[in-house]
Amino acid sequence: MTDAPAAVEPLLELRDITASYGTIEVLHGVDLVVPPGSVVALLGPNGAGKTTTLSVAAGLLAPTSGGVYMAGRDVSGVKPDELARKRVVTIPEGKGIFPNLTVKENLLMASYTGVSVDHIERVAFERFPRLGERSSQVAGTLSGGEQQMLAMARGLAVEPAILLLDELSMGLAPLIVEELYGIVSHIAKSGTSILVVEQFARAVLGVADTAAVMVNGRIRAVGKPSEIENDLSAAYLGA
Amino acid sequence: MDKFLQFTVLGLSQAAIFAIAASGLVVTYSTSGIFNFAHGAFGMMAAFTYWQVHVAWDVPTWPAFFLVVFIIAPLFGAFIERVIMRGIEDAPEVVKIVVTVSLMVALLFLAIAIWPQDVAHPVGALVEGGQLEIAGVILPNQRLMIIGVAIAVAIGLWLLLKATRLGVAMRAVVDDRSLLQLNGGRPARTAMMSWAIGAGLAAISGVLLAAEQPPSAITLTFLVVNAYAAAVVGRLRSLPGAFLGAVILGLAVSYTAAYLPSDASIGSFSLSGLPRAVPAIMLFIVIVAQPEARLRAHTTIRTRVVGVPTQRTAAIGALVLVLGTAAIGSMIAGPDLPLVSKALWFGLITVSLVPLTGYAGQVSLAQLTFTGIGALAMAEWGANGSPFAVMLSIGLCALVGAVVALPALRLTGIYLALATASFAIFCTWMVFSQSSLLVGGTVSVPPLSIFGWTADTQFKQLMVTAVAFAIIANILVLLRRSAWGRRLTAMRDSPVACATLGLNLTSTKVGVFALSAAIAGSAGAIAGRSFVSDDFGLTPSLQVTMLAVVGGVGSIGGALLGGLLLGMFPIGSSVFAANAIGVFRFVTVPVTKVITIMPGFMGIGMGRNPDGAASDIARSYRSLIESVPASVVTAIAFAILWISARLEYISNWDFFAGVLVILLAVMPLIGSILPPPGVQVAGRRLAAGLWLVFALLITAVLPWETLVESNGFRILLMLVWAGVVASIAVGVHGAVDLEALGLGTDTAAEIESPDLMGFGTEITRADAQLAARAIGLDGELDRPDTGSTAVTHARSGVEVGST
Ligand SMILES: Nc1ncnc2c1ncn2[C@@H]1O[C@H](COP(=O)(O)OP(=O)(O)OP(=O)(O)O)[C@@H](O)[C@H]1O
Ligand SMILES: [Mg+2]
Repeated sequence: MTDAPAAVEPLLELRDITASYGTIEVLHGVDLVVPPGSVVALLGPNGAGKTTTLSVAAGLLAPTSGGVYMAGRDVSGVKPDELARKRVVTIPEGKGIFPNLTVKENLLMASYTGVSVDHIERVAFERFPRLGERSSQVAGTLSGGEQQMLAMARGLAVEPAILLLDELSMGLAPLIVEELYGIVSHIAKSGTSILVVEQFARAVLGVADTAAVMVNGRIRAVGKPSEIENDLSAAYLGA
Repeated sequence: MDKFLQFTVLGLSQAAIFAIAASGLVVTYSTSGIFNFAHGAFGMMAAFTYWQVHVAWDVPTWPAFFLVVFIIAPLFGAFIERVIMRGIEDAPEVVKIVVTVSLMVALLFLAIAIWPQDVAHPVGALVEGGQLEIAGVILPNQRLMIIGVAIAVAIGLWLLLKATRLGVAMRAVVDDRSLLQLNGGRPARTAMMSWAIGAGLAAISGVLLAAEQPPSAITLTFLVVNAYAAAVVGRLRSLPGAFLGAVILGLAVSYTAAYLPSDASIGSFSLSGLPRAVPAIMLFIVIVAQPEARLRAHTTIRTRVVGVPTQRTAAIGALVLVLGTAAIGSMIAGPDLPLVSKALWFGLITVSLVPLTGYAGQVSLAQLTFTGIGALAMAEWGANGSPFAVMLSIGLCALVGAVVALPALRLTGIYLALATASFAIFCTWMVFSQSSLLVGGTVSVPPLSIFGWTADTQFKQLMVTAVAFAIIANILVLLRRSAWGRRLTAMRDSPVACATLGLNLTSTKVGVFALSAAIAGSAGAIAGRSFVSDDFGLTPSLQVTMLAVVGGVGSIGGALLGGLLLGMFPIGSSVFAANAIGVFRFVTVPVTKVITIMPGFMGIGMGRNPDGAASDIARSYRSLIESVPASVVTAIAFAILWISARLEYISNWDFFAGVLVILLAVMPLIGSILPPPGVQVAGRRLAAGLWLVFALLITAVLPWETLVESNGFRILLMLVWAGVVASIAVGVHGAVDLEALGLGTDTAAEIESPDLMGFGTEITRADAQLAARAIGLDGELDRPDTGSTAVTHARSGVEVGST
C-alpha cells in the first residue's frame, strides 16, 4: 500500500505491549517498529514470546496494555479478519494452509482481501510453477516445501501492506529456505513492510534490514543484523 | 419381484428425504461444531409453518414452499445461531447437547401449543397425483419428485461447497478457524450461513414428509433420528457418506416393512415394532462400529469444580429431606399428594445422572428407559411388593446399563448421547410396545411391602420415595469420596491424561453406567403406581437430562432441584387449569400450554450458566446460613406460613407454593444481598419497614373476596410478602454485632461446610492433588488455569498488573 505517510512514520509499531494467556503474562512491554518497505527479523529462543508478539500484531490476541499502530492509526483490538481485509497478511507458524482444501481453493480464500482470484492464481502459478501443476491437489498432501510456497503465494499475490511471517524455515531444506527468503526480499522491495519471526538466524539475517532479539517476553537488543550478533549468541546460550 | 422393485422405489424415496435432512445436519455440525438435536424440530416447525401459509392463508403451493424453505427457515436458522449457538461454541460438550436438546423440546411443545395435535393438518400433495409405469413398476409422481429434489439438493450442495467462496470457507473453517480469520474470512458469519442452510434443508425434508401424510409434531421431530443414522455413516462430516447412509437406511426400512410378517415373533416376544426400530438399530450399530474416535487434547475442562459434601453433611441433608417431606406431605391432602410425590420421584431419576454426567461427564438420553425396565421387572417379579423383587429389578437395570455401555465404551460426548437415544427409541418400539408386558398399554407397579408394612397410601408412597432418595444420595456421596469417584472425575477432566497414563477406564465407565441405570431403574421399581408406555419414551428422558443439567448435575442438590422443577410443571398445570387465568389473561396462550413450553426454554437459557442453577443458589445460601439473624427471620417466615396453613387461612397449594418461593427465591435473594457483618444498614431497615407497610396495606385494603380466587393476585401477594421477609432479614442481619457474638466471618470460616445437600464448596488444591495421587496422576491436575486465546478486544490503556 503506497498511501502510507512519509518514511519517518513506521507502518507497524508495537508500543509497550503486554499480553497474557489467561493469568500468565507472556509479553512484558514490547516495543517494536517496522518502517515501510523494510524487513525486520524478530529472533529469540523457544518460548521467548515471538509468536505471541506476532499474534498481537495480527489481531489474534488482544494486548492487555499498550497499543498496536498501523500507519499511525491505533488498531489494538481490531479483529484479525478486519486487518486481513486491510491487507495485513499473516502466515502463522507451520500451518499457513488449509490441509483439506485444494491448492486452488486455498488461493480462493486469499480473495477476501479484495484481490481477484484470477490475479492471485496468476501471480502464484507464475512464481511457483509447481503449484500450478498441482492446482487440484489437496494441500495437505503437498510436500512441506510446497505447502510453505502455497502459504507464501498468498503473501505475494495479495500485495500486502504488512506481512507477518512466523518460522518460514521450519522443517525445510536450506535451499528452499533460501528461495523463500529471496521472495521475502522481493516482496519488501515492492514496498511491503515485513516482520519475520525466526529461531535460527542464518537465512533471515541475509535479508533483514533490522533485527530484534527477544528473550523472556522482552526485546533484548535491536540493530543492524551485524550489530546484534553478540546479543544473539548470548540469547541462545541462555545468558 | 414386482414387490421387491416397488419397495425399492419406496425405500429410495424415503432415503431421499433422510438424505436431505442428514445433509443439513452435516453442514451445520461440520462448520459450527454443534450437533443440532433440534434439526428434526426445525423440519417439523417448517412443515407446520407451510401448513399455516399454504392451507390456512391460502398461498399457492410453490410460492408457499419457497417462502418457507428459502426465506423463513433460513432466517430462523440464522437467528438461532446468532442468539443461542454462538454463545456456546466453546462450552463443554454436555452444555451443547443439553442446549440443542432443550431447543428441540421447546420447539416441539411450542408447535403443539400453536397447532393443536388433536386435529390433523394435511397440507396436500406438492405435485399432481399421476404415476409413471416402467416395466410393471409403478413410479408415482410424488415419489419421483422427492427423489428429484434430493438429487437437486446433492448437486446444489456440491456446487456450494466446491465452487463458491462461501462454501469453500465453510470447509476452511473446519480445517483451521483462526487461519480463515487471518485470511479475512469471518467464521461467525460462516457458521450463521451454515445454520441457515441447515435449517433450509431441514425445512425441505419436513415439508416433503408432510406432503406424504399429515404431519404430527412428535413423529416429525423424531424422524430426525433417521437423519442422525444416515449422517453418522458419514461420521457427521461427509456429505456423500450421509447420502449413502440414507440409501441404506431407506431401503432397510422399506424392506423390513415389506417382508416382515405383521405377526412375527420370537416366542411371545412380538417383533411388530421392528420396522419402526430399524433406524435406531442402525444408528446404534453405526456409532458403535465407528473407527476409534480420537481423543482430543483440548477437551474442555469444567470451569468450576463442585465440592463434595462430607458423609456427615450428606446424612444430615438426607434426614432434613425425609423430615421435610413428611411435614409437607402431612399438609397436602388427597388428590394433590401424588403430584408432590411425583416431583420427588423425578428427583430420583435426575439424581441418577449425577454419577454419570456430573462426575464422569457423560451424557445419557435414556434414563426413563431404565426406569421403565425397572417398572416392568417389578411388575413381573414383585406382585407382592417384596423388597427382594425391587433389588432384583434394580440389578436387572444395572445389567442392562452395563450391556448398553459395553459396546459404547469408546464413545464420548455426542456419539454416546446418540447411542443412548437410539437405545431409548429401540426400547420404545421393541419393549414398551409388547402387549404381554404392558397389558392394554399400561403397566402397574405394585407398592413396596416390607415385613407386612405396605406403602398402600399416597403418603406412605411419598415417604418411600423420600427415603429411597436419601439412601441413594448417601451412597453417591460415599462413592464420590472413594478412589473410584476420583477416577471418575479424572476421566471427565482429562481423558487424554488418563489414556496416556495407561489407566484402564473400561470398568470405571461400565460401572458408572450400570450405577446410573440402576438408580433410574430403582425409581421404576419403587414407583408403586401405573404407567403408560409413553412415560418411558425419549421425550421424557430428554426432559430429565435437560432439567438435571439446568438444576446442576454436578451435585445431588442440583439434580434434585432439576427433578423438582420437572415435577413442578404438572403441578403448575393442575393449579392453573382449575381456575381463572388471572393476570395472565392478557396472554392468548393458556397458562397450561405456557407451562409445557417452559422446560425447553429453561434448558436453552442455561447455556449461559453451565454450572446449573443450584450452584448459584447454593452460594447465596451459604452466606444466608452464616448469618444467624437472617436465618432466624427466614425460619419465622416458614413458621408463619405453616401455622397459616394449619389454621386454614391459606390453602395447601398456597402453602406449598409459599415454601417454594421462600426456598428458591427469597432465601437465595437474601443470601446474595446480605451486607458484610457490622456494616451500617439503616437504609435497609427503612426498606424493610416500607415493604411491611406496603404488604399490610395490600393485605388490608384489597377486596379479598373477589380477588382471592385469582392466581395472578396470589402470586402478586406472595411476591410482596417475599419482599418483606427478604428485607427484614437483611435489615436484622446488620443490626446485630456478629463479631461480638463470636459469629463473625473469622469463625464462620472454621465451621464445616454448611451446604447440606452437597453443592457449592469450591474444591481445594489439596483435594485435587489428593485425587490426582489416588489415581496415579501426580502433577497432572496441578496446572495453572490457562485461558483461551480468544480475542477479547481489550483496548489499550487497561492496567493489568506489573511486569
Ligand atoms: N495458547 C497458549 N496458552 C497458554 N500459554 C501459551 C499459549 N501460547 C504460548 N504460550 C506460552 O507463551 C510463551 C511464549 O510462547 P510463544 O509461542 O510466543 O514463543 P515463541 O517465541 O514463538 O517460541 P517458539 O520459538 O518455540 O515458537 C511460552 O511460554 C508458551 O508456553
Ligand atoms: Mg513461535
